[in-house]
Amino acid sequence: MRETPLSNCERDFLLKGIQEKKRLDGRQTYDYRNIKISFGTDYGCCTVTLGKTRVLAQVSCELVPPKDSRPTEGIMFFNLELSPMASPGFQSNRQSELLVTLNRQLERCLRNSRCIDTESLCVISGEKVWQIRVDVHVLNHDGNLMDAASVAAISALCHFKRPEVAIQGRDVTVFSPEERDPVPLSVYHMPICVSFAFFQQGSYLLVDPCEKEELVMDGLLVLAMNKHREICSIQSSGGIMLLKDQVLRCSKIASVKVSEITELITKALENDRRARKEGGKFGFAESIAKERITVLTREEAPLDTTDIQATADGIISKADAPPEVVPSPVIVATGTGQVGEGLENTWGLEEDDEEEEMADVTERKTKEDEVMVLSDSEEEEVVILNQDGRSKRSQR
Amino acid sequence: MAGLELLSDQGYRLDGRKATELRKVQARMGVFAQADGSAYMEQGNTKALAVVYGPHEVRGSRSKSLHDRAVINCQYSMATFSTAERKRRPHGDRKSSEMSLHLKQTFEAAVLTQLYPRSQIDIYVKILQSDGGNYSACVNAATLALVDAGIPMRDYVCACTAGFVEDTPLADLCHAEESGGGTTLSLALLPRSENIALVQMDARLHQDHLPALMEAAMEACKGLSKVLDSVVRQHLQEVSVQTRE
Amino acid sequence: MELDINSPVLREFGSEQSLLSKPDGSATFMQGDTSVMVGVYGPAEVKVNKEIYDRATLEVLIQPKSGMPSVRERTREQCVRETCEAALLSTLHPRSSLTLVLQVVHDDGSLLACCLNAACMVLMDAGLPMSRLFCGVTCAIDAEGQIITDPTAQQEKESRALLTFAIDSKEHNVMMSSTKGSFSMKEMQQCIAVSQKASERIFQFYRDSVKRRYSKIL
Repeated sequence: MRETPLSNCERDFLLKGIQEKKRLDGRQTYDYRNIKISFGTDYGCCTVTLGKTRVLAQVSCELVPPKDSRPTEGIMFFNLELSPMASPGFQSNRQSELLVTLNRQLERCLRNSRCIDTESLCVISGEKVWQIRVDVHVLNHDGNLMDAASVAAISALCHFKRPEVAIQGRDVTVFSPEERDPVPLSVYHMPICVSFAFFQQGSYLLVDPCEKEELVMDGLLVLAMNKHREICSIQSSGGIMLLKDQVLRCSKIASVKVSEITELITKALENDRRARKEGGKFGFAESIAKERITVLTREEAPLDTTDIQATADGIISKADAPPEVVPSPVIVATGTGQVGEGLENTWGLEEDDEEEEMADVTERKTKEDEVMVLSDSEEEEVVILNQDGRSKRSQR
Repeated sequence: MAGLELLSDQGYRLDGRKATELRKVQARMGVFAQADGSAYMEQGNTKALAVVYGPHEVRGSRSKSLHDRAVINCQYSMATFSTAERKRRPHGDRKSSEMSLHLKQTFEAAVLTQLYPRSQIDIYVKILQSDGGNYSACVNAATLALVDAGIPMRDYVCACTAGFVEDTPLADLCHAEESGGGTTLSLALLPRSENIALVQMDARLHQDHLPALMEAAMEACKGLSKVLDSVVRQHLQEVSVQTRE
Repeated sequence: MELDINSPVLREFGSEQSLLSKPDGSATFMQGDTSVMVGVYGPAEVKVNKEIYDRATLEVLIQPKSGMPSVRERTREQCVRETCEAALLSTLHPRSSLTLVLQVVHDDGSLLACCLNAACMVLMDAGLPMSRLFCGVTCAIDAEGQIITDPTAQQEKESRALLTFAIDSKEHNVMMSSTKGSFSMKEMQQCIAVSQKASERIFQFYRDSVKRRYSKIL
């Protein structure tokens, strides 16, 4: 399936609007769309909605041997997938440019900035460390996948709790969540990506482009920062020509946005923590808006099973009797068994050949020392050449 | 790596350079006869080889050709012997794909592609020895190769890395300095118009240090552009001497 | 063997439709903690090597939350696809493709049934013509011989057999069955009867949600 291309008049309309500082959805140049963060029932599951863009992140962990170059550090593995649900142009198992860019940017933003303490993930140095795997699924593509993915990934990492381990010499016991409370990861800081879209050779820029704006943009500048005003990664793409003060201006805007988003994340984490502690309900089921007309829920209720017994008995009594028991296998010779009669083969071969073949089969199985006869065909001729040039012919 | 001082008290780095000094740059153009353009570039111990084919007809699927400009196709790969440990997968992994993409975008902005509609320009870059600044060496080598191929460009594209240690920006990092855990900023610049074609930075850096870091990188790029310019002029002189009767 | 079937319960369930803007139809279905989000594209262009001359080509993709899709997802995809193909009037859209993409948001038991319910909701949301609606019900037979409908993951682990049936809305026939474990013929018939009872509840839910959805228009 292919994505619907953007028509020329839509393109001109968007560009003209941007020149007049107007955006399609009425936002200002530096405004973000509405961000909603919700957590699931198990630790490490998070959904982020940025306007209409929706992203799901899940963190999982397992014990693996560490990398040779870093025996005392845990491993972080990131995997972003563009679900075919998100856009008609996305197909599973296709390495597109967008996928590579998003994956690499996510890795650089979260791994190279050392936001997670990997030393604490070591269990036995050189033998067993925790591998933290972050899977991000893009569910709906309405622009700015990078920001949504980074918010989802860092929220899921902050929400995640790994199982407790006990080390006795060389033995490692992993406790299940019921036996001992799981342990959260130690997160140093929260890097968040902010995307800037450039138009008309860098003369206009927009924060948080939506999908249509992304189709007409010249290039993208992604800045990852944390709330301590540290830049974690800068990446410009799309071949736009930037000036130094444009980059500096973007970093100032980004620091403001990042502090707002970090507040949102901490608030959402706090709400979730409170809900779990008080024993209230938590998870995605609680976060859907029940008053919308597209939503409907039903409470838990028992089923009426009064005449189940009668119905079932009725069906069984009306059913046909099961077929007769299959006869037990007949032993023809040691090593072979025969069940049933077998059909007549319709190839028109004589019966003697068939019996010969059967005998061959049994002989082959009992005499293991003899040379394997691979085929009874007399049509093949094998010529063995000796080193001194004489050739031996033999029937196979 | 504790104990390894990236910048000593006297202001000298690991290899004896000062903070803003570039490594020794050597370059040669016209290395391959059969390619349209080729160049070999050494920046300190990093050695890069770039080969350009084109402009020619679009190979493969016709749907990739653009009606108003040329398509630039880049492939970046590292030789298996280029790093200290043998490289298991020289190309096709995510890092190489990302580098290829960045190179493509850099040169799409710099080359005058409108002059060659429905054509394709191929740029192949290979790192023969990696000692930091892989991307920069590739960009510089590819610029020279494009000049050698005679493809018109807006300006030289010069790239350089810069780092930050103890409030001092360092220009042109080697591998030990890059992997030391400090900041690395890679910048590709068109020197005359001071337009930045690509900026890439990893690892944490406080926002206030960013202007100084970018300034150091831009100065380094401008210095490099002078070197590239002299290489091109020298090559031109050699070639014209040979063709002159 | 007689089974003890007093008070099997269906966990609380809920669904939301049209929550994604890009797909032609989208829905999410939650049964207790198990939650599945699904999107459908179609009828749309189909690749020449996959086209069928007189009907639409249906493709189902199930994506797990972590890890790569494996054989387990493929078998579930097969089950869902065959049920949908039996229910859809695919002859109305020849040489087209219908793509159903399911994303497992949380798995706490009865996953296949949840996928089937979500698939039916999304086909309704997209307005694709169907000859019948369908729903999925999972029954587990535990060690004491009790039938548990809509089991959680814990109950599934402790059960002796797990049966999932897809029931249609017109005649309450079984459209698809997927079972695991050992059970007698009688137990299976009782499970089918229980599933048919449960399916009535789910079909009523479908009707109510559609009525609610269009309550402002009608």
